[in-house]
Amino acid sequence: MNKLIKIGLPSKGRLKDESLKFFKKNNLLIKDSKRNYLSEIKNFKLNEVVFSHAREIVERLADNSLDVGISGYDLLKESLPGIKKNIKVFSRLNFGFADLIVAVPDAWIDVQTIADLEEISFEFKDKNIGKLRIATKYPNLTNDFLLSKGLTQYKIVNSLGSTEIYPFTNQSEIITDITSSGETLKANNLRILKDGDILSSSACILVSKKSLGDKNKKNIIINLLKKLKNK
Amino acid sequence: MKSKKYSEALLNLFKKKGFKVKEFENIIESQIIIERSGEIFKKSLLSFEDDNGKNFSLRPDLTISACLDYIKNIKRGVYKYAYFDQAYRRTFGKGSLVRNQLGCEIIGSSNLQLNQEIINLIDQSLQKVIRDKTTIKINDINIFYSLVDSLKLPSRWRLRLKRHFWRPDYFNELISRLESNSDLQKNVFELDKKSYFKMKKLKQNNKIAGRQINEILKRFEKKLEEPRSNIKGVRVAKIIRDFLKIKCSFKNAENELKKFEFKNKINLKLKQFDVFDLKLKNNKAIFSTNIGRSAEYYTGLVFEIYKKSKNLNLASGGRYDNLMQSLGSKKKIAAIGGAINYDNILKL
Repeated sequence: MNKLIKIGLPSKGRLKDESLKFFKKNNLLIKDSKRNYLSEIKNFKLNEVVFSHAREIVERLADNSLDVGISGYDLLKESLPGIKKNIKVFSRLNFGFADLIVAVPDAWIDVQTIADLEEISFEFKDKNIGKLRIATKYPNLTNDFLLSKGLTQYKIVNSLGSTEIYPFTNQSEIITDITSSGETLKANNLRILKDGDILSSSACILVSKKSLGDKNKKNIIINLLKKLKNK
Repeated sequence: MKSKKYSEALLNLFKKKGFKVKEFENIIESQIIIERSGEIFKKSLLSFEDDNGKNFSLRPDLTISACLDYIKNIKRGVYKYAYFDQAYRRTFGKGSLVRNQLGCEIIGSSNLQLNQEIINLIDQSLQKVIRDKTTIKINDINIFYSLVDSLKLPSRWRLRLKRHFWRPDYFNELISRLESNSDLQKNVFELDKKSYFKMKKLKQNNKIAGRQINEILKRFEKKLEEPRSNIKGVRVAKIIRDFLKIKCSFKNAENELKKFEFKNKINLKLKQFDVFDLKLKNNKAIFSTNIGRSAEYYTGLVFEIYKKSKNLNLASGGRYDNLMQSLGSKKKIAAIGGAINYDNILKL
């Protein structure tokens, strides 16, 4: 009978700090060690805290090697349908706010909307210079959004970081990226399209649906979730 | 068994008319599809990488496979394909990854005779196999393009409407936008005007993210020159919506369209269309301006065949004169084809 519940928390950055703060505000004390990726909530039942990459937390919740976790709403939505269907969003949290947006070079003054972008994409196609390239860390959300807005003639360039410089280093023409203040975009001479908001994201508490169906764990998880309140 | 009976019967009828039953390669280079259709089709490809990082896919569609076969093996002249095989696509949890596809294609000619040959062949074969009457719906999507050209619209909007004719949901959104003029944001436009004057002073052939400055400025100027009023947008949207409701017997199609022209004071240049000259064996043919909106690659005549008593779609197809080139042919090769809706046939 396994009653140990596993909790996934982001392993670095602001999301990690805010997550630990959030647990602390709810009187759940987690010992943080910069080097050790395993810890526990000291004043709660049998549990294990695993510090992982935020993207990995989503995947581990889906395959049930984690029971509860904090990750970005954007990362959950970006996942494949087979992953999403195994995860329940318990609540959106008051931190980790960011928007996934479509941005074009500032100097593309003739492009205000996705409809303009669609025309540009056909210019690329008609001139036989390849497809309009869009750099992103979020290919699935980007595809769903752009196709729903009528843009079809483009090619996704998968980016792992520094996406903002892609249009100026001939790696793509435009980007979709996550932004909280828009400052980095501005500093890199990019601007958000008028109708280019793909998704508003924040940190959220996610639960593995399989764990909720496990009678040994269900009550412990519900107990934990009751303690985790947005303050 | 039922499946085998129908497929064999149809393929035999196609063979009797000179079609050659072909088997196609299972795997194709993904790049061929992506270059043609962009990400929209890539999403549904079942693909994988080889040891060299080259991306391949299971064949997603047998019309595409027939075209690729023609480019690789046949190369010139008229070739008549018939096939019954499996195609593979992602379905995102809806339905099977494997689809049975039965169809025929005539590649290498734009002859009007072939248009009626393929429609009559599929229609008559279906009637024999299902032992029931059918109804045919016919359209030529170039008539819609001619309508768009006849309307007072900025050229950007003309292109937009033509490009998205095959995506009815998004097309309807476009029509709503056309009515409301909601794609312009004046304050941003004013800010951009300032940048415009700054950019005028720069070297015009310098590139910014793949586009030359003079291209950007030219398009900006065009947008300034082509404002449109809401009132005109509402009128144009109404004409388009009314046009897409035209449905009549095929024999009366030309007359109905002439009436539409007269009522809306437009010229559709109907004389240029040979669709009205089609000699169909089925006397229950209907002309409908709203069909042929399921595939991006159709370029002219389109048809759909239904079982009359149940209004069940049994087949659809059309002319696709630009597909061969976009799949890698160096020259334009005209083609027409039709696919049997095999799942619906099995329901009978």
